[in-house]
Amino acid sequence: MLPYANLIEALEAAPADRPFITVWIDEDDHETVTFGEFRSLARAQAATLAREDVAEGDPVVLIMPQGVPAMTTFVGAMMLGAAPAFLAYPNFKVEPSKYRSGLAGVTANLSAKAVVIDENFPDEMMPCVSLGPETKLLRAGQNKGNVRKSHEGAHFAQIRPDTLAFIQHSAGTTGLQKGVALTHASVIRQLGHLATALKIDSAHDRLYSWLPLYHDMGLIAAFILPMVCHVPIVMQLPLNWVMQPESMLQVVSECKCTLAWMPNFAFQFVPRRTPQSRWADYDLSSLRLLINCSEPVRASSMSEFRRAFRVKEGVLQSSYAMAENVFAVTESDIERGPVTIWADGQQFRGVHRIFEVAPETPGAVSFTSSGRLLPNQLAKIISDSGERLEDACVGEIAIKSDCLFEGYYNRPDLTTQVLVDGWYRSGDLGFLLNDELYVVGRKKDLLIIGGENIYPQDVEEIVSAHPAIHDGRVIAMGVYNPSLGTEDVVIVAEVEKEELLSDAAQLKQEIRSRVVGGLGIAVRTILLKPPKWIVKSTAGKPARSATRGKLLREHPEWNSEA
Amino acid sequence: MTPEAHQMIVHIKDLIRKPAVTIDENTPLVSSGLIDSMSLVDLLLKLEDLTHKRIPAGKVQPKDMDTVAKMFATAERVGKPRK
Repeated sequence: MLPYANLIEALEAAPADRPFITVWIDEDDHETVTFGEFRSLARAQAATLAREDVAEGDPVVLIMPQGVPAMTTFVGAMMLGAAPAFLAYPNFKVEPSKYRSGLAGVTANLSAKAVVIDENFPDEMMPCVSLGPETKLLRAGQNKGNVRKSHEGAHFAQIRPDTLAFIQHSAGTTGLQKGVALTHASVIRQLGHLATALKIDSAHDRLYSWLPLYHDMGLIAAFILPMVCHVPIVMQLPLNWVMQPESMLQVVSECKCTLAWMPNFAFQFVPRRTPQSRWADYDLSSLRLLINCSEPVRASSMSEFRRAFRVKEGVLQSSYAMAENVFAVTESDIERGPVTIWADGQQFRGVHRIFEVAPETPGAVSFTSSGRLLPNQLAKIISDSGERLEDACVGEIAIKSDCLFEGYYNRPDLTTQVLVDGWYRSGDLGFLLNDELYVVGRKKDLLIIGGENIYPQDVEEIVSAHPAIHDGRVIAMGVYNPSLGTEDVVIVAEVEKEELLSDAAQLKQEIRSRVVGGLGIAVRTILLKPPKWIVKSTAGKPARSATRGKLLREHPEWNSEA
Repeated sequence: MTPEAHQMIVHIKDLIRKPAVTIDENTPLVSSGLIDSMSLVDLLLKLEDLTHKRIPAGKVQPKDMDTVAKMFATAERVGKPRK
């Protein structure tokens, strides 16, 4: 376990001359700050915030582009005992109207003592930042010279274990994000178990990340964990990675990174956006662990990545994590890796139970585990009525741990919906088998068609595989059909190129037969849309509920839900 | 006009699907709203193909891609030969 009482004490213990954060733009354009430099910069930021009367317990909202100034401001706020929160910074990948409404909601809920906004933040978006009567608005310069001020006069707080460390936002589209406030003790407990499970070696590990810091995986795995365990980070800006997924391979090769986390979709996205002729140019042999986390894990995505870049056995791992639990609930055994099993598809969909079968069995479906519970975690699978289900039964995953949150920030109404007798109801569906947890989807996304559970990801994977459909830009959802008394499947899919829409009838027929062939269900409606129609989340993935809303506005006749 | 610039213009016309619009090397694309900024990912890949260079995304701002002439100038300025 970690020998620190709080996160700042952990940072103070880091060797001053060890590199901490390298922001990688290109091989001849990257900048590194050491742990010692980071500490000085953070103290200077603390002094600036202290002059604005930020003190213990105050929420501080940061709306800054990812980088060292944002990270040192975050830690500077923690040095004062305040609770910082990163919010997404606008970029061209996020729809401005969605960003505005999300920003307004989140800032209003936090009612921060101070809001630190980058000097280049667009003026026209400023009215969307809700400022209370007590809130101070600070404009942050990106110029490092301005930051290197004396930190004399700052009053550093005595941080107690139960002092709030920071507020992180649960995954989801911006407008629906909920603030999760976490104490120093909770975060330290989580990181202690995680570092042990991953055998973190501060002298030899080097972490690679393109993950955004306003998401728990980026904040905890790719910033707070390395800060506390004194591990150097090589960081790309999320947008630069999205523009050029291949660049990740260059960074890992050149910087000899050993550790990284990314969501399942990236395991496909990187090889598919890298010309095959260049796959062999990269050397990922330095990678010790590449962890698939924050989405249901798919064996096919992992093997696509492994084959493309000749990744060694035992490198690809999996984890199940959530902001409400600081981060990880499970982690695959790093000696053995995640477990993949095959199960009878009909039993899975019909009676929601796993009967293992041989992989070649017709209709078999595969599942890849998210690993084993960390020692401080408990998990149970519960039915709709809240009863505990036995192993191999599919139900909602509920968890309990010594690093679980105590509630959503300023939202007791939302808290009581999910915290029941000390158990957090995750809203994720999954099952336990031989001490491994398998996550199969989100409860609210589940389609129930004639009594069978249909997982939208399964429909989406089949539709995505069609060459005319833009990979990953498919959403399957259930729309209630009052005359049948059950849900119908509606698929929205973006075509690769707009001209493919002229063949829509043929295309729809092909998609229908693929879905019937794969899952045995008939699709009521297929809507083919031009590229970029589907609403995306801040992480750049299709946002299910926002897309559903957009669709229902186009088709008000589907609004007659039971 | 170079053959590469011509190919880029053909590619952009294909992308925006507005046959009536004429595009030359100096037609503003992003600032005029002809191209939405989401298409920049696609244009960057095309530019890399046409110039046989690697163009670090971190060094390219939307304004650097506003005209076909600027795109090729950007490729010249920040592009690196493929190893």
